[in-house]
Amino acid sequence: MTNHTETASPENKGGKFGNFMRKIGRAFKNFFVNFPANCRKAIGRFCSWFGFGTFGYTSNKKRKKVFFDVIGYVLLVAGGITMLYPFWWMLAASLAGPVMAADGVTVTDSALNVMITTIFWPDETSQFGLLYNYENAVTLLNSAWQTVTIGGHAYAFWRSIINTLVYSLVPVTVGVFTSAMAAFAFAKLNFKGKNFVFFYCLAAIMIPFPSIMIAQFCVYSAMGWTENGLAMIVPGCFGAILTAFFIRQYLYGLPTSILEAARIDGAGYWRQFTSFIVPLAKPAIMAQFILSFMGSWNNYLAPQVFITSDMWKPLTLAIGQLDTSYSTDVTNAPAVMAASVLALLPILILFAVFQKTIIGSIMLTGSKE
Amino acid sequence: MENNTVSYAQDAAAVQALDLTEPIRQKKRINRAKLQENIWGWIFVSFLLIGTTVFTYIAFILSVWISFTDYDAFIMTTFWEGLGSIHPDGAFHWYQYMFSPEGPLGIAGESEDFWNTLGSTVFYLIGIPIGMVLSLGISVLLSRDIRGTGTFRVIYYIPTVASTVSITVMWTNLFGDGGLMDSLFGLSLLANDSTYWQNRACVIILTVWKGLGGTVVLFVAGLNGVNASYHEAAEIDGANAWSIFWRITMPQLYPTIFYVLVTSVIGGMQIFVEPNLIFGNYPATGNQATSGTRYNIPFVGFIFGVFNNGEWAHASALGIILAIIIFVLTLIQFGLDSRRDKV
Repeated sequence: MTNHTETASPENKGGKFGNFMRKIGRAFKNFFVNFPANCRKAIGRFCSWFGFGTFGYTSNKKRKKVFFDVIGYVLLVAGGITMLYPFWWMLAASLAGPVMAADGVTVTDSALNVMITTIFWPDETSQFGLLYNYENAVTLLNSAWQTVTIGGHAYAFWRSIINTLVYSLVPVTVGVFTSAMAAFAFAKLNFKGKNFVFFYCLAAIMIPFPSIMIAQFCVYSAMGWTENGLAMIVPGCFGAILTAFFIRQYLYGLPTSILEAARIDGAGYWRQFTSFIVPLAKPAIMAQFILSFMGSWNNYLAPQVFITSDMWKPLTLAIGQLDTSYSTDVTNAPAVMAASVLALLPILILFAVFQKTIIGSIMLTGSKE
Repeated sequence: MENNTVSYAQDAAAVQALDLTEPIRQKKRINRAKLQENIWGWIFVSFLLIGTTVFTYIAFILSVWISFTDYDAFIMTTFWEGLGSIHPDGAFHWYQYMFSPEGPLGIAGESEDFWNTLGSTVFYLIGIPIGMVLSLGISVLLSRDIRGTGTFRVIYYIPTVASTVSITVMWTNLFGDGGLMDSLFGLSLLANDSTYWQNRACVIILTVWKGLGGTVVLFVAGLNGVNASYHEAAEIDGANAWSIFWRITMPQLYPTIFYVLVTSVIGGMQIFVEPNLIFGNYPATGNQATSGTRYNIPFVGFIFGVFNNGEWAHASALGIILAIIIFVLTLIQFGLDSRRDKV
């Protein structure tokens, strides 16, 4: 095709096609003769296609919005992949197994190596079944601490799950209830010293946990609470100021006239709390319950310091223990990953079920804990 | 006598009158109601009040007290014995100890460890501005009127709720020697041959990634709260998007930004789980003692390590220093905040 342009150098030669090519050539030449103006023209036309009015070209709001929407979606999707991919990687990597040679005995690629080089799916899943690593994780976790036995069987995994459930359910249930009580008093009752009590409690969040944990540990161990798990249960039962703060914010939004009506009908304060405040503030109380539950489930430092008896250690400590002993072990490393998936799943399921309540509650008050 | 009877009668009449007058009676009833409200108010807050007093304030006072003693797990047997033993080298022994350099025999002080751990903790704080800028961008994108913002908000929040222990186990494998990030992008941040700056960068990436969601949700809430009429007015006046963002959106978002900054500095100074699981406990033993990882132990990890050694008084003193540092940092931020309001 390019030959035609060379042969069509004299005028009127080459027919329509030659004319056309000459036109293009002239346009090309003109373009370079007044380059800056044409550049502006090109940029202006290009930008106006996306809705921007530059160099005298018309702007188009609709197109502009579409342009920004597309860019926004691309960025958001990229960010979303960054957020989600590690979880998928974790799940896929936890299924990895060693690559075997043809004889089925010699290992050509260790399970650890297969696991850490997984991209979307491991090169080789375990030869003992897809969920072998999970079985192995339970076995390893069961023997994480030799002292935790029942009838001669090591059951540290199940024990740690029970402990975690106890540590997260009992203090959180009682604590959210007592916090709701305090929130009711802060929001709807007028008593002397209310503001003082409120700011006295609120100032306590300035004191970081690491600086009081040693004194707490000394007292708890003197009372024997470090040997029976009470150190993780009792303090939480007294409620938390941030929980109370959040429920208080919610209660401010509720009309006081309901309580006044109840008061006129002769309902006592306790009655007002149990049959009016608790049902009405249910969304806030639920959200705080779930957030505190997640916090307790994921807690690592407090049990690490407070619990000295292996019998009462929660799941996070068991996984930490497993990580320190097996994380570089060529055969058992995928089991560590499987164990951490096991610890993660309940929280993720809980979050998936209650995400609306949780996100709504955080957006309402700005309380993250 | 007459006078007396008269006065009695007068008194009786007065009492009757008092009984009959409405205002005084009402006042009495109000007082009783008020008293009841006061009593019930205190009953309702009593649990929280007792809990805060005992488990925070008294614990803090005890912590200060213990930091003056020589309480050691392997010497003292009971709690009271520990409390009673003011340190023989003076009550402020531990505070002098942590600021004095290590002697030729290795017993005079520990200022090297102290500043190393504090320095790495402060270094990890770099994640806060990075995370705030990123989440501000994301929340501006999310606050446009496009579909699916709710879904994105949930997706970005998932790492925040995920268990830190599990995430850290995953992270060590992802960024470890020959891990995926190494083989795909050549990012071997946690390998044996990586420097401790790379290790620290890896921890910062982890904290930014994990903390993004909470900040995004807060910023989106703050952006939704920005008064739309200001935007419209500015648009009519011909302001472009850039100046609307800086002149109108940012000032109204400022309280949220300040809240996030204060809470994340308080939380960031207490970073423990991620470095502890990646780099191990203080004091670094075995392989780590010679490699760079011993410089990556955070301050809380230092406190925890000293505590594990049974030096409870020593650990308490370090904890008090941490509380003071956090208090001063918070004060500085509030001071800057108040100065900004005046200008």
